[in-house]
Amino acid sequence: MLKAANLIPQRRFVVVSGVVVMLMFSLVIRFFYLQVYFHDTYKKKAEVNRIRAIPLNAPRGLILDRNGEIIVDNYPTYVLTAIPGEIINKEKNFQIVSYCTGIDTSLLKTNYKKYYRGRFLPARLAKDLTFDQLSRIEEHKQELTGINYQQFPERYFPGKINASHLLGYVKEVDQAIIKEISEKEKYIYGDLVGWRGLEKVYENRLRGIKGVHFVEVDAYGREIGQSSDYEKENPVPGTDLQTTLLIPLQAMIEKILDGKRAVVLVSLPETGEMLAMVSKPDYSPDLFTGETTVDEWQEIISNPNKPLLNRMTHGLYPPGSTLKMITAMALMEKDKINYSEKINCNGVYELGDRQFHCWKEEGHGEMDLEQAIAQSCNVYFYHIVQRLSIDEWANACNEFGFGQRTEIDLASEAKGVVPNSRFMNKQYGRWGWSKGHLLNLSLGQGELVVTPIQMMQFINSLAMSGTTPALHVVKEKTHTIQTVHRYSKQTWNRMKKYMRNVVSSSHGTGNRANPGIPGLNVAGKTGTAQNPHGEPHAWFIGYGEKNKKRVSVVVLVENGGHGGVTAAPIAGRIFEFLFSSNENMNLAFSL
Amino acid sequence: MIQLFFQKFKESSISLLVIALFLTGVGLITLKSINAGQEGTFFQLSFFKELFFLIPALIAFITVFFIPRHTIHRYIYGFYGCMIILILIPFLGNEIASTYRWIDIGLPFGFQPSEFAKWIIVIALARYLSDHNLEMNHYSSSIIPIILVIIPAGIVLNQPDLGSAIIILVPLLPMLYWVGARPFHLFLMMAPLVSILTAFHWFSFTLWAIIMVFVIYKAKPNFVFSISTFFGNVFLGLLSPILWGMLKEYQQRRILTLFNPEIDPLGAAYQIIQSKTAIGAGGLFGKGWGQGTQTHLKFLPVQESDFIISVIGEEFGFLTILILITLFSIFILRTIRLAFNVDDRFSSLVLVGLGTIFTAHVFVNFAMTVGMIPVKGLPLPFVSYGGSFLLSSYIMVALIMNLSIDPKDY
Repeated sequence: MLKAANLIPQRRFVVVSGVVVMLMFSLVIRFFYLQVYFHDTYKKKAEVNRIRAIPLNAPRGLILDRNGEIIVDNYPTYVLTAIPGEIINKEKNFQIVSYCTGIDTSLLKTNYKKYYRGRFLPARLAKDLTFDQLSRIEEHKQELTGINYQQFPERYFPGKINASHLLGYVKEVDQAIIKEISEKEKYIYGDLVGWRGLEKVYENRLRGIKGVHFVEVDAYGREIGQSSDYEKENPVPGTDLQTTLLIPLQAMIEKILDGKRAVVLVSLPETGEMLAMVSKPDYSPDLFTGETTVDEWQEIISNPNKPLLNRMTHGLYPPGSTLKMITAMALMEKDKINYSEKINCNGVYELGDRQFHCWKEEGHGEMDLEQAIAQSCNVYFYHIVQRLSIDEWANACNEFGFGQRTEIDLASEAKGVVPNSRFMNKQYGRWGWSKGHLLNLSLGQGELVVTPIQMMQFINSLAMSGTTPALHVVKEKTHTIQTVHRYSKQTWNRMKKYMRNVVSSSHGTGNRANPGIPGLNVAGKTGTAQNPHGEPHAWFIGYGEKNKKRVSVVVLVENGGHGGVTAAPIAGRIFEFLFSSNENMNLAFSL
Repeated sequence: MIQLFFQKFKESSISLLVIALFLTGVGLITLKSINAGQEGTFFQLSFFKELFFLIPALIAFITVFFIPRHTIHRYIYGFYGCMIILILIPFLGNEIASTYRWIDIGLPFGFQPSEFAKWIIVIALARYLSDHNLEMNHYSSSIIPIILVIIPAGIVLNQPDLGSAIIILVPLLPMLYWVGARPFHLFLMMAPLVSILTAFHWFSFTLWAIIMVFVIYKAKPNFVFSISTFFGNVFLGLLSPILWGMLKEYQQRRILTLFNPEIDPLGAAYQIIQSKTAIGAGGLFGKGWGQGTQTHLKFLPVQESDFIISVIGEEFGFLTILILITLFSIFILRTIRLAFNVDDRFSSLVLVGLGTIFTAHVFVNFAMTVGMIPVKGLPLPFVSYGGSFLLSSYIMVALIMNLSIDPKDY
């Protein structure tokens, strides 16, 4: 059969040859198009291709106290990264890394997925590597293709204070959280972003500017060497953030409040600067850096005392008797009160068919306004508050900033509630509420809830006769001035006199807030706020003044019992700390 | 004996060997340029290895050139059987780069049996088609040829080596056409593949259905056959999403990135983009030997084998590419002309089949480097680095030259 004759029609020969010619010609056209027609475009592209910009991490700015002491620092850690495109055998490489570092392979895989950005970009596998771990990795470097380690500046807390709610924390940007960042184009995976507190508010200042160095790289993204054509740009570290905090004071308060659920705020009313801000219970500020185990995290989340809650700005409490001052001032200004008018307190007040009790069961006896504030008599206020409508009372509260944000430079805060007639109609229906509610509200009970930071602003207004700069933790060139206009100078002065009596008179509820330092005048008001969660909350708000230097204090102890017994002594220790020695006075008034 | 050889050699188309050697030379020059940026002793680098591989390639050339054609004709089915076993062997051995293409023969380099399968299958096909001097315009007579290529193609596809599988399949069509099959039958063979490919978009699928109706109408087969052909293909098209799901992920990605290379600039399309950049940057005259920045900064993957054209394009420019394409065209067209002129049908079919293999290799390789078709992993004959393929290519040249001479007593 080999000899079968070959009888191919000419036509078929032409067709087959023609197909080959067409194919080859299409190649020529395509190469001409690329190499001659579009030559310039590709020439430029080739130029860019061999140079790659490698970002250099900028350390975040430090956070300092008012005297320059470091609160939040950076320290260099080592992170382990993997370049997906370079890894030849992922499974084996992870096993070796796991053997070298003791980190579970499943965690390595989770991180690898979490930080994956592309085949030729490093994905973070682990961080905070110790020197031991690094040297073991170095031993196995030959087998570990595509696995590298780099220095990375991590947040570090020198440890004198927690202030965790205030400082906030940073998070590493990954696939999940990049969606929630407002300026996401500025971040890549593995960067740090301020997530809560000061770290978040001052993110732009703290972040710094990443540097870049240009290297020649091969197709696998591997560096061949420094590029000579482009200059390296060094990273610019973030700006240090000087806060108004006073570390020794903050540390002392954190120690006093250990084991309590409480808030203490200290500020300078003249400037609005915060000296100390403590919310207890808190957590270690490095909870969010380093490796947090699931158990640790569970413990914090399930803790009934809610350590993650920032009570300073998000805790809502009835203010108790501290609010009597607003009721009094609103009446004084409207001339609806006679300073010498005496009202008899026999321990109980009847309105309609309801009975309202004074905290002192046997009654205070004959009371004028000054005595009623000093001894915090309820019955006196039951009488006089009826001269106000609920809206007049609510307006007075709003003027002091209740029901609104204080605009302190923390990431967020709660507004609280000041009930007015509209609120009450909504809550109880048009006819469902009565003057009886107002009696309760005027004592700082009932639907009225406030945050401790609002109380800070309230006491500053009282201390400064209505004009005080907005509260802040970081000093700016200008701060908005908060002003309460309505009251005359006499009203302010009278109020201050009454508050001094609370602390200094023999029957005053707040006299435990007075450390008895010569030349130091302390004024304030206690509060004992009934609440459905057990013992009343103990309040003390006040200020101390010596040589024209004023410090204001807010103390709240959740379920602490009587304000005068639990809260006032804490304020007393703060005044003692600040005013007993010139050294501490100088530190506090240094800025 | 030697005199006999020279006599036969003189009568053959020596120009084919000259072109092959010239192209190998271009390949070696390019490899030398690539080596300049690599580490390793002279003997470890591809230039030397390729030069070394040229020795067995030329020995094989001489041997195959000297085998009488009736010997080839007689033993080819035996070879075919051995070849099937050989391409199955890699599955018993170790995975190399997650494929089963290589046989470890105890030497520093592996051995890739699928390269040899390509031309063995062509010869076996040629024997079947010429032996069975059948009425080739009968549809059923193409069934055994189809089986002859489908079995090895299926095995190679599982290695997995899509490129080689296509090279094994492609010669069947021109060979059937060459031997007298009706174009309509070839259309019927192609139809299922086109049905699968067009099914991914309603427009292309509708267009294809209209073309099918037209072609079937023109060919005027009987009614039942027309209807079953049409609906069989439509059904296959509807099945194709399931077939798509059976493809390997990297194969899916390669096909998808053809249509939109920007999808994944660091993934599968990376090679195409880098290669296009290198070739485009070369311009008319190229950057000069050893001057390709893309090449030397290793932006190009597999630049020594599948993407050697990118290096040539960058360093030697469009004019050299034009010369290469022209030389390949001359080589292939000459082979087809020889196939037309040769006296016996067996030789003619072998030549057409081998010409098709060269055409497919050249076109696919050139086209993929510039993004005309998906990355297929096919080397360029004579030029690309690779021992098995060099050996195989020179054997094919020997076969063409051997079988194109008038059969005397050689």
